[in-house]
Amino acid sequence: MAAKQALRVGTKTVRPVLSLNQAEARSRVLNLYKAWYRQIPYIVKDFDIPKSEEQCRAKLKEIFLKNKDVTDIRVIDLLVIKGQMELKETVNTWKQKGHVMTFFKPTEEPKPKDFLSKFFSGLD
Amino acid sequence: MLRQPLSRALALSPSKVAPLAARKFADQVQAQPDKVEVFINDKPVYVPPGTTVLQAAAQVGVEIPRFCYHERLAVAGNCRMCLVEVEKSPKPVAACAMPVMKGMRVKTDSDLTKKAREGVMEFLLVNHPLDCPICDQGGECDLQDQSMAFGSDKSRFTDIHFSGKRAVEDKDVGPLIKTIMTRCIHCTRCIRFASEVAGIDDFGTTGRGTDMQVGTYVEKMFLSELSGNIIDLCPVGALTSKPYSFAARPWETRRIDSVDVLDPLGSNIVVTTRTNEVLRILPRTNEEINEEWLSDKSRFACDGLKRQRLVTPMLADSRGNLTPVEWEDAVVAAARALRDCPPGKLLAVAGDFADAESLVALKDLFNHLGSENVCTEQYFPLEGSGTDLRSSYLLNTKIANVEDADFVLLIGTNVRFEAPLLNARIRKAFVQKETDVALVGPKVDLTYDYTHVGDSASIVKDLATGTSSHEVMKRLENAKRPVVILGADQLKTPEGAALLAYTQELSLRLQDKLVDKEWKVLNVLQRTASQAAALDAGYRPGLGAQLQAGPKVVYLLGADSGLVTRDALPKDCVVIYQGHHGDAGAAIADIVLPGAAYTEKRATYVNAEGRAQQTLPAVTPPGKAREDWKIIRALSEVVGVRLPYDSLDELRERLAAVSPTLVAYGDVQDNNYFAQARALAQSLQKPVSGKLDVQLKQLEDYFMTDSISRASPTMAKCVQAVLKQKQSPY
Amino acid sequence: MSFFLRRTLGAGRNLGRAVLNNNQYSGLQRVATKTDQATPQAETRPTVAKFDPLQKSQLVDFGKYVAECLPKYVQKVQITAGNELEVLIPPEGVIPVLQFLKDHHSAQFASLVDIGGMDVPSRQYRFEIIYNLLSLRYNARIRVKTYTDELTPIDSACEIFKAANWYEREIWDMFGVFFANHPDLRRILTDYGFEGHPFRKDFPLSGYVELRYDDEQKRVVVEPLELAQEFRRFELSAPWEQFPNFRANPAAEEVVNKSEDQPKKE
Repeated sequence: MAAKQALRVGTKTVRPVLSLNQAEARSRVLNLYKAWYRQIPYIVKDFDIPKSEEQCRAKLKEIFLKNKDVTDIRVIDLLVIKGQMELKETVNTWKQKGHVMTFFKPTEEPKPKDFLSKFFSGLD
Repeated sequence: MLRQPLSRALALSPSKVAPLAARKFADQVQAQPDKVEVFINDKPVYVPPGTTVLQAAAQVGVEIPRFCYHERLAVAGNCRMCLVEVEKSPKPVAACAMPVMKGMRVKTDSDLTKKAREGVMEFLLVNHPLDCPICDQGGECDLQDQSMAFGSDKSRFTDIHFSGKRAVEDKDVGPLIKTIMTRCIHCTRCIRFASEVAGIDDFGTTGRGTDMQVGTYVEKMFLSELSGNIIDLCPVGALTSKPYSFAARPWETRRIDSVDVLDPLGSNIVVTTRTNEVLRILPRTNEEINEEWLSDKSRFACDGLKRQRLVTPMLADSRGNLTPVEWEDAVVAAARALRDCPPGKLLAVAGDFADAESLVALKDLFNHLGSENVCTEQYFPLEGSGTDLRSSYLLNTKIANVEDADFVLLIGTNVRFEAPLLNARIRKAFVQKETDVALVGPKVDLTYDYTHVGDSASIVKDLATGTSSHEVMKRLENAKRPVVILGADQLKTPEGAALLAYTQELSLRLQDKLVDKEWKVLNVLQRTASQAAALDAGYRPGLGAQLQAGPKVVYLLGADSGLVTRDALPKDCVVIYQGHHGDAGAAIADIVLPGAAYTEKRATYVNAEGRAQQTLPAVTPPGKAREDWKIIRALSEVVGVRLPYDSLDELRERLAAVSPTLVAYGDVQDNNYFAQARALAQSLQKPVSGKLDVQLKQLEDYFMTDSISRASPTMAKCVQAVLKQKQSPY
Repeated sequence: MSFFLRRTLGAGRNLGRAVLNNNQYSGLQRVATKTDQATPQAETRPTVAKFDPLQKSQLVDFGKYVAECLPKYVQKVQITAGNELEVLIPPEGVIPVLQFLKDHHSAQFASLVDIGGMDVPSRQYRFEIIYNLLSLRYNARIRVKTYTDELTPIDSACEIFKAANWYEREIWDMFGVFFANHPDLRRILTDYGFEGHPFRKDFPLSGYVELRYDDEQKRVVVEPLELAQEFRRFELSAPWEQFPNFRANPAAEEVVNKSEDQPKKE
């Protein structure tokens, strides 16, 4: 019974979100990346953000590479869907300047790490 | 179990001591008769005979409503709220007073029971004012809760003009307890508490029927150090806390479990806070320490936590005035002073409220700097075994076990004010188990009768050597469970070492003869919450010799008892004060580092039994104040000898390495090595001639003893009220 | 599907109508015999809601009928809170069951009142999706419940009910459940760029970020939230039982199709 259960779990067939295999998921990710990449000049111009196109591309790459270790196809698909959603919000300028700048986190101050500076700043 | 008759508590004149043969000791329990079976709502339960219906019901999880019944007080049976139906009984019976009988069938949910409850509740509410919106008990009121749960859902009260509603004049019983006597439902819990636990027979009832009143007969303050407990006991809003009146509702406050540090017992408390402010302190049940009581200083001195606080680091300027500075400056100044001082000229002094973490951290810092001069303010003789053996400086009997004692000998201590809840235990034993008490030392009011042996130290010597002809000698030797409690204040005199040696000798002589080999006789009652942890951590008790040596830098860790004075120090000595109150220590300091009080930090305290307990942060330290161990840790880094712990957990590992007992929370270890301590103390048994004296003799001495209670306006009012009461003819 | 519906329609018409339309004579008679067999415990307390045993027996019968018609999809039919009919289905059954309930002549649950979500992290399928339907024709309500996890998509009901569009967007936004074939699945309540799904139980009450207007940047900035958590203890319960009258109340739900837990073979 237990072996049967394990077999069922191990070979569980799940309903795909969008992609049926790794290659398809990969192409979706690349398409999303390209779409963002192509929109960067317009984003910089439309939102008048204090960042250059190079900085935006670096940030785009950074955000994509943050999830480089994700292997589950369905997780990749959901991330792509959310990325698509963000792109649409950005391109249609539903977002405002502040929303776009949130990607860059310019006002966050790094927290003190060592004991002494934590003690002096009163944070712990 | 039904209470034993409280003949002693209620006797007005001291009863003569009964002959020993006729006495019943706690260990002579009769063989347990078989349990009887009773049925609570048709659920069978087996209980020992003599159990009340209410207790039997509680065993199967049925809580019968009650107002007058209280587990720790005698049964009164006058509120009638606990009426239940018993099969084959013509009337409903009062569950709190009715002992179970074999085969009894109790119905706690029948229509008759419900009707009885609704009727009782209706009668109570007829004469109870409808002032819940302005009543301080609102939200934690037994009457509110029970009328919701057990009362009728409609009213038959038609006297809308309030022509016949009862009204009673309020009484003045001192600055702690506010009385609104119209709300009183005559449960008499306060009266029973006063006469049984507090030992004050001032409360009572006058009149009967609708004219019945609870009061003090004549206007009189409730002269007790345990008076605050009647606030908790009162099931309605008749007795409420005066300092807390109209301050907050229970549901808008946060409650944090913590430990009290104002006396050496470490009573468990709940700190109630709102918007980062301590509003009140309530007791938390711990059968091993405080049961469910709390002494008045621990309960009401919490307003001292808001006054006289050190909120910012300070440095003395060129004219000697302390001026506020940033932490960086203060820590650098302190570090420079420590670094530039030769190690032999360093001195650290720990005060009353120092927690184990900061004690260990400070000792580590000083040891890194090459100094061993870490002291506590309270002296303890270092001759003989000194502080090497824990048994020499702790309450070995343990607080809860004092109840089982059959003879208590107090040497040079006024337990009533040094450890009020230990005194309450002794009184409980005295009242319920016929324990006898004898006192060597000045005659004081302990709230119970005792044999006063005298106040000369030589009496202890005579008792120890067995040469005393006093009747106490014989009774001590015949006692099956004797307890000897020595006040730590006696040890600071030149004869202290000899006194301790004689006490050890006496206790061990008694202990050797006991049938019960587990029973410990020797107890030393410390005066402060920090002393036991400090001695465990290896602090040197007392600082006379170190002050003589002329230190160049003195580090006061909350040392406020005024032992270190400017006059006793060299002119160029730098005094660093770390603590939470601007008291004696901060007044002489050159550098002030503001620390956290016990309600503001997670810290370990070891009580007089040697039981480690921890406080939890209820509020954040005010202003720029920081947790104490962090100040020392930051200082160490600036000095250049970084202590190897960055978090409390790492520091606690260090604590465990110093002494595992410091982190064994809630546990108390049995102490042994009495014989070794006694052997080492043999040579110290020198003739003694002095008289024993205690610091706290009267109630007015009790209220203001430390930096927190000295800053508390409530405590000041108490002292005033007690002094005023002394003038009164009553 | 259509075949299935057509096949059951003939038998279902009379029965279903009799069940739901209590104006009809035959229905009344059926129900009367039923209520006689059931415990005739009439509620007399004035403050307690009274249940209509007639209505309940109709719901029970209709529940049984649904289970009979859709044996492949209906896992369980139950009555909760006395008179609320619930049909529990697997995620594959969303389209056929909703289509059936909407279009069946003796059901006509043509109005989608609401779609709700529920998160129980300890379950294998942590999310429950709840469709509340109303039949104006028969003055009856029904609740359809299904389940899913973070990654399994559910078929969108937009094809059947236009109302489902925004409800499903709300669920997507709040729980992160993906609806397949939804025409316009995007956020509806949260701010653009918001991360996380607030109705998930593992989403902290305070959220992860706080927003403020920054005077230097002249715009709203997003920063990680910092709240010091305190040790706290609530003492909300009195030692006395507060509502002894409700001690003996029966469990909230009763299963209608006990024998039909397993799908029947045709």
